[in-house]
Amino acid sequence: MTLSADNRVSELVTAPSRSRAAARWPWSGGTPAGRFIGLTLLALLLAFLTVYPLSMLLYGSLHSTPPGAAGVFNLDGYRDIFTQRNLLVLLNTVGISLAKTVPSVFLAVFLAWILARTDTPFRGSLEVLVTLPFFIPPILTAMAWGMLGNPQVGLLNQLYQGITGSTTSPINVYSYGGVIWHMTQYAVPFLFLLIVDAFRAMDPSLEEAARMCGATRLRTFFTVTLKLMLPALTGATILSFMRGIENFESPLFFGSPANIHVITTDIYDSINQRSPPQYQYATAISFVIMALMFLIILLQWGLLRGRSFQTVTGKGYSPAVMKLGKWRWATFAFCVLFFVITVVLPVGQLLIGSFFKFFGFYEWDMLTLDHYREVFGSGEFWHGFRNTMLLGFMGATLTMGLGGIVAYISVRTRWRGRRLIDAMAWLPWMMPGIVLGVGFLWGFALLPHAIPIYGTIWALLLAYISLGTPLSVRVMSSAYAQLSFDLEECSRVHGASWLQTMQRIMIALVWPSFAVGWVLVFFGIMRELSASVLLYSVDSEVLSVVLLKLWANGNAEQVSVIGLLMMAMVIVFRWVQLRVIRKWVGAL
Amino acid sequence: MLKTIKALALIALFAATTVPASAQDASWDDVVAAAKKEGKLVLYNMSAGAPYFQAVVKSFEQKYGISVDSLDLRASELVERIRTEQSAGRFLGDTEIVSTTMIEEQLKNGDFIQKLPQIPNAANIRPPFKVTDYSAPAYVQPMGILINTRLVKDADIPTSWNDLTDPKWKGKLLSDDMRPLGSGNTLFAILQKTMGAEFNEKLAEQKPVFSRDIRNDARRIARGEYPVYITQVFALASDLKGLPVKVVIPKEGAPYAQMDMAMLKSAPHPNAARLFMQHFLSVDSQLAYANGWMLPVVQAAADKADADAKPFANAKLIGPAQLSERPGMMALARKLYP
Repeated sequence: MTLSADNRVSELVTAPSRSRAAARWPWSGGTPAGRFIGLTLLALLLAFLTVYPLSMLLYGSLHSTPPGAAGVFNLDGYRDIFTQRNLLVLLNTVGISLAKTVPSVFLAVFLAWILARTDTPFRGSLEVLVTLPFFIPPILTAMAWGMLGNPQVGLLNQLYQGITGSTTSPINVYSYGGVIWHMTQYAVPFLFLLIVDAFRAMDPSLEEAARMCGATRLRTFFTVTLKLMLPALTGATILSFMRGIENFESPLFFGSPANIHVITTDIYDSINQRSPPQYQYATAISFVIMALMFLIILLQWGLLRGRSFQTVTGKGYSPAVMKLGKWRWATFAFCVLFFVITVVLPVGQLLIGSFFKFFGFYEWDMLTLDHYREVFGSGEFWHGFRNTMLLGFMGATLTMGLGGIVAYISVRTRWRGRRLIDAMAWLPWMMPGIVLGVGFLWGFALLPHAIPIYGTIWALLLAYISLGTPLSVRVMSSAYAQLSFDLEECSRVHGASWLQTMQRIMIALVWPSFAVGWVLVFFGIMRELSASVLLYSVDSEVLSVVLLKLWANGNAEQVSVIGLLMMAMVIVFRWVQLRVIRKWVGAL
Repeated sequence: MLKTIKALALIALFAATTVPASAQDASWDDVVAAAKKEGKLVLYNMSAGAPYFQAVVKSFEQKYGISVDSLDLRASELVERIRTEQSAGRFLGDTEIVSTTMIEEQLKNGDFIQKLPQIPNAANIRPPFKVTDYSAPAYVQPMGILINTRLVKDADIPTSWNDLTDPKWKGKLLSDDMRPLGSGNTLFAILQKTMGAEFNEKLAEQKPVFSRDIRNDARRIARGEYPVYITQVFALASDLKGLPVKVVIPKEGAPYAQMDMAMLKSAPHPNAARLFMQHFLSVDSQLAYANGWMLPVVQAAADKADADAKPFANAKLIGPAQLSERPGMMALARKLYP
């Protein structure tokens, strides 16, 4: 029924049979007519969510004025891009993104291996803790690291000077290092979350086989473990690299004072800091970025083509972990160190600061609970919170559902058009968020008035689904790529219907990935600002807009209270995900 | 006969002065009644829920029983949202409170706002502020110098903008970025005009450090990262009482940005919009702004301001920056700060 471990290791290099089962099993796609209708509807939905707002932006890039305003078609926006300065800015952007992605991948892989494949103590708790930085609003960590690492009075520099007696300040967050560090802090948990379940789901017999054949632990890790992780790893790395290109807060806060410019700050300036806003330039440069990103995705498709990465098979296996002996305390210490540096240091600042009148002024007479009272007594906060919860739950569930369908078709079938659907689902992540928000505004506002989307909460929901779809598709694609086709075959042989097979095999086995993706999309919705601020109405104000207003009014301490609340929610969500859902899945 | 003529003349004079007033009152009562009937106002603004703004909105709602839907957005988002909505035939907003230059741009780029109806309280507006055909001044946002009182000795406190060019401040000045649009460039443009071109050149030699987070800058000064912040909007320091910082108004005056009110084209609640503008220009509303260290456009409010707010409510102003000069000023700032 299934290949042996050794066979499957060799299949990694040779097997071309990615979608054999789907080709052999006509039930997986229903009738050809039904399949065609289903695919068409899916394509139309994706076109509305992704292609439509992008088409508005394309119009903006080719027209001298934004949609709805009198102007002429020209290529001025594209012509303005090709300057020597922009080339340098592009190289700078790519360099910074690479500089944060490469070490982040290593760190994330190492952490995932430690927490999923070894007997490191307290790994359950550590798994929740190391992911926390991802969920803190970047503006808060920027403020915290500004307090910790500024060269004049930064706490870390003062500590160094106190210990060494030196007068120099070795840490300066307002530098390339600061930009990369701030981005890395978000990239590591993001990558970790995307790959850890792929590590966990892997049949250890594959590694055991390599070890029995004489491979060292290191060789086994690189030649078996890591290679089997390729779909998850390359997908996550590309997403992380794209996020690096599109990152905005880190270069704005830490790069601008040091004259470090990247594409997103350039785009931000051309929209928000020019008079009048240069939408044609902003959208044109975004399409150039999009083209570059598409090349990267093609590279990934080329890299994975013709290979099989199925590690979850019908053959029973024990999810045994590697015994590290005394080294398990070293891996434990590594995780704790990561947690201390990325969470305790900045969040400690936020936590302590939230109990004082002002951040950084820790005097007894400034101790207060006012910030908590103000936040929890604010009608606006609760209104935004309710809306965000509603949109978060609906948005994350629908996004993951859509992502699951797209991923299934893309990975487990050979249907014509699957590549197109997969590519459409990628689109929103290829466009910088600050520009895409404008695309949604133009797109939804210019719809016929009979379609009641603009100015309602549904505009936000659709934008969130669109923005979350690339992530959901990647998460689910990685999960499906690991499932052996024999599982479906076996289910069918034993008389299960297609629906039962989907429910008991295909959904149940990818449920952990679904849950991780759900949490990521949910908190992505909680943090999303670029589209929210352009689409919200009074009745549909969301938490990110409330946070923006609080920040703009100088209430950084109240923003921290909400940031801490979001972190508490993350801990609860992750706990539920890791404990309850897995128990339920185990019982299936 | 002469007496009769005089009496008739007096009656005519009395009628000439009183009838229009009562007619005006009557017609204004009609506006109030119509506004109440409309029952709602959609207000686009950039106040981000500032407490003085919320106080004015709340007092309007309480006084007239008209609910206010306030949409707070940043400048560029606000302008684009209005433009897009109106281009799509979605006339959702009634009133906007934005900068004078944004209104100038709206008038230049399209047909987004309508002529201002008569607002009786516009008579309260003090010079040099004026009502135009399309907008009425709402409040003024001046900038001064923020110092850390622990790091700057009394003798060293700058009293003139020129004091910032003293070599002792080299590398010790924090500023909002002067190159893009914003407070930094507004200050740059106004000082270029009032202090002379040499001033900005000398200031650039001081190597001020630029920031892009205007709300965190005052706190960075308070924590001692830098002793001086160049572009301190008065109002953004009003909530820092208790911290070792002080806003200084240089003797030449404070560069400023003016915020105006305008009525959007095809406003669905035009009477409520008109009534809100009237309310905004009342002494009480302007006093709320004055006590939040925003400069009111009504003198009586400046006179009534709290003691700590009075210097800011009555600050000498320099400016404003002109829209037509903006591209040149942004280019010059990029040249001086490459």
